Amino acid sequence: MSTPIPFLPAHEIARQVRSGELSARQVTEAVLEHIARVDGIPGQLGGDPQAEPDKVHAFITLTAKRALTQAETVDARIAAGEDPGPLAGVPFTVKDIFTVEGTPSTAASRMLANFIAPYTATPVERLENAGAVMLGKVNLDEYTFGSSSESSAFQPSPRNPWNLDRVPGGSSGGSTAAVAAGEGALSLGTDTAGSIRQPAAFCGVVGVKPTYGRVSRYGLIAFGSSLDVPGPVARNVTDAALMLQVMAGADPHDSTAVTLPVPDYLSGLEKGVRGLRIGLSPDYFRITYPDPQDGSLREEALPEAIRTAVLKAAEALAAQGAEIVEDVPMPHTRYGIPAYFVISRVEAASNLHRFDGVKYGYRTSQPVADLREMYRKSRGEGFGVQPKLRILMGMYVSAAQYSEQYYNRALRIRTLIRRDFERVFDPAGAYRLDALLTPTTPTTAFPMQDVYGDSVLMQYADQLTVPANHAGIPGLSLPGGLDAEGLPLGIQLLGPDFSESTLFRIGRAYEKATAEEAWRATTPKIVHG
Amino acid sequence: MEYEAIIGLETHIQLNTETKIFCSCKADSWNDPPNTNICPVCTGLPGVLPVLNKAAVEKAVLLAHAMHSEIRPVSYFDRKNYFYPDLPKGYQISQYDQSLAHGGYLDVPMRDGEMRRVSIHKLHIEEDAGKTKNEQGRRLIDFNRCGVPLIEMVTGPDIRSAEEAAQYLIRLRQLLRWLGVSEADMEKGHLRCDANVSIRPKGADYLNPKTEIKNVNSIDAVRQAIETEIKRQIRAVEGGGKVEAWTLSWDEDSGTLSKMRSKETEADYRYFREPDLLPIHMDEAWKSEILAAFPELPLERRTRFMAEYGLPAYDADLLTAERSLSDYFEAAVSAYGGDPKRVSNWLLNDVMRMLNESGKTAGELRLTPQFLAEIIKMVDKGTVNTPTGKGLLEKTEETGKSPREIVEAEGLGQVSDSEAIRQICAQILADNPEQVARYRGGKTGLLGWFMGQVMRATRGKADPNTTRRILQELLDTSA
Ligand SMILES: [Zn+2]
Repeated sequence: MSTPIPFLPAHEIARQVRSGELSARQVTEAVLEHIARVDGIPGQLGGDPQAEPDKVHAFITLTAKRALTQAETVDARIAAGEDPGPLAGVPFTVKDIFTVEGTPSTAASRMLANFIAPYTATPVERLENAGAVMLGKVNLDEYTFGSSSESSAFQPSPRNPWNLDRVPGGSSGGSTAAVAAGEGALSLGTDTAGSIRQPAAFCGVVGVKPTYGRVSRYGLIAFGSSLDVPGPVARNVTDAALMLQVMAGADPHDSTAVTLPVPDYLSGLEKGVRGLRIGLSPDYFRITYPDPQDGSLREEALPEAIRTAVLKAAEALAAQGAEIVEDVPMPHTRYGIPAYFVISRVEAASNLHRFDGVKYGYRTSQPVADLREMYRKSRGEGFGVQPKLRILMGMYVSAAQYSEQYYNRALRIRTLIRRDFERVFDPAGAYRLDALLTPTTPTTAFPMQDVYGDSVLMQYADQLTVPANHAGIPGLSLPGGLDAEGLPLGIQLLGPDFSESTLFRIGRAYEKATAEEAWRATTPKIVHG
Repeated sequence: MEYEAIIGLETHIQLNTETKIFCSCKADSWNDPPNTNICPVCTGLPGVLPVLNKAAVEKAVLLAHAMHSEIRPVSYFDRKNYFYPDLPKGYQISQYDQSLAHGGYLDVPMRDGEMRRVSIHKLHIEEDAGKTKNEQGRRLIDFNRCGVPLIEMVTGPDIRSAEEAAQYLIRLRQLLRWLGVSEADMEKGHLRCDANVSIRPKGADYLNPKTEIKNVNSIDAVRQAIETEIKRQIRAVEGGGKVEAWTLSWDEDSGTLSKMRSKETEADYRYFREPDLLPIHMDEAWKSEILAAFPELPLERRTRFMAEYGLPAYDADLLTAERSLSDYFEAAVSAYGGDPKRVSNWLLNDVMRMLNESGKTAGELRLTPQFLAEIIKMVDKGTVNTPTGKGLLEKTEETGKSPREIVEAEGLGQVSDSEAIRQICAQILADNPEQVARYRGGKTGLLGWFMGQVMRATRGKADPNTTRRILQELLDTSA
């Protein structure tokens, strides 16, 4: 039986659309139909979190009409003999933290529920220019603040297509749930501490956190500006590489987007891993977190299934000719979360200042005595609990009398984490690694409503992903099998700055090495209807 | 007791870049309706990012260099966080601990000829906020000014009187225009000034609490406001009270200061590095490229004009008030080749009037320095007389033609042939026997009338000296 259109790889759709085997309209219609079958009602303000528990609920805004118009444009270009672009007719979704002209750009917050963006984010614009067809905006944690997508003001929040009682992860949970469920071949997410890689791991898809500056942030509603990176979510490595190829590169609207040329990610994809040095670090096989009662540091080994998945991946890569380097010390990994807590919240509090009810977005409808009260009420009513927590902590640790103790100290930790990576990737150093191979997450997808509310513990779900954000280096999360409950496991590759090509190459080699494994043939529950 | 005032000035200088500092909107919105020069970036829409306008940095480097400030090889932008409706991002992008430049000074000549060195404490780049106005119980916001590039420059407490503060601003304004970095028009807010004022017994070495005066929009206002505040502080102290650290607002119309707020605690702006912008790397190559065109500064040029051209201080001061005028002067002197003082006289007496009337700068005149030199030379040689020469200034400016061409085309050349003049004079005497009789009867004041008649007959071309000599000769010799 041939693969149904919603589950065709992006590169296959583009090939068939470009060659005329399929029209973009046909693809779009098929995927829209599939969405109508699996997604259920979109998230909405005041929506019931428990509504339609048998559906995915990836979307906040489905832009079906816009998608069909775009698809027709692609078909018209092909008919006119023009190049429709490398992503011709590929349906994709956008995490609703990016602006897209003329569409609601909500950040999953009441604050921006009525905000129609007057301009389009650079990565979205580049995808559309490449012929990709945007299906709509998908759900996330409010302002990306979370690891389960449940903190969205738009309910119901997305569910994990592999097990609808589980979270899809977050904050790009709508993106990964959509891609896993066949609601678009690609999705544009963002990663501030693991927000692409963690939900990708939970949903059994490929997630890329590119090097900081590789993809423009213009149009990304900022969380932690020094950490945020837009990146691809896809069902396979080739599609992720193709998507990044289109998005990456300098942007006159973002001076932190680097001007370094973008390499051809696809040409080296099939080269294999012979001669590459891939490291394993014990510091990535445990998590360290403060005891909620007495604050003392506690250490916990990762679940056996996750450990095994990573070690098996190492064996598979070794069998392909990679050199596995064990016992690579990454001593500052454990400080990643505390430092992230401070840095991201200082930046977030400042980034959220602009949402004041003055110019756009939510403004209180209650009577107000003065300007301060208008601010207080608008922000008090417009923000959910997660933004408020971040504002409180961000304001506190950046106050003049505390910033040396917290913020500046966190910045120093950040430098130390960066040095951990520099040391092991140094081509003249003791380890000379091309990449580190680690688990993506300490757990598989947790039950809905399980961890939400305990934001400290939820944050420790990011312990293995956040170091890459501190350091600015690229990370790639790959599906690495299923645990005993049938939930996806994620493995992660981390490499030096701008080593995306190498990570894709290793990822692709791993895909090929495991192509025949039974779990590869397993599909998410929802697909079987 | 005798008191002395301790004054420091905080200036905000609007740079005259084409576009704003972090977007491509037009920077100058004078005369434009509210909210017409705005875009997603400068109105702080979700998701936008600032992109630094290099021209703002380059102008700031010119100013920093002129202030003898040390320019940091690496400087950073920081966020200054506070809420205000006309600050659309809720933070201002500014520079905090590692600003573009630090230190430096400006030498300010005082009226008594003494030079006062005013030190510079802070010099940094930042973006402007918008404007708020209250109207009929509503608060209206104009975002046009958001993102206009500013330099904030703060002096040390080195100024000792209202007059010195005024002189500092006059020299700063002159320098800003000279460097071409700002229009420096205080009335238009291109140059804004807050003054910190305290007093102490003369000779004391401690500092008393200071007040900050805001909202002073002209140099005269700065002078008046500081004078008023010094008197108020002295009155307060002599009356047994004390000066509190207030922020005061100057009301220009009534000439009074009013208390805006007490200033006991500094606001916490929670400064941190702006993650959306890269550091400014001011390497030697870029710096020397910027400073390659660094001009001779007004005070240096003033000194040189006195030494090189033998000009009196008065002339040198006026000629270096504005760069275009001083360039014009030098070009005219070089084209003229004669006494520079003569060029200065023509410039300060006549050309200045043309400039004031037309609002042009010297560099914009069609009467080029070469044409001016040509006119003075024609007068020197007697080709035209002085009044004709002065008339030629306007004619050259109007037509853009060379003065020599105008003289030839209009036949304005001076008649110095005494025989021709003698004939005309004789004819006029013959035509006006009554006036001749009255003159000879003692009304010698009529000589001027006869001069006028000759000039009218010759359309002003007769050499006045020759005419006067011949008329006197003919009139004084009884027929
Ligand atoms: Zn703008």
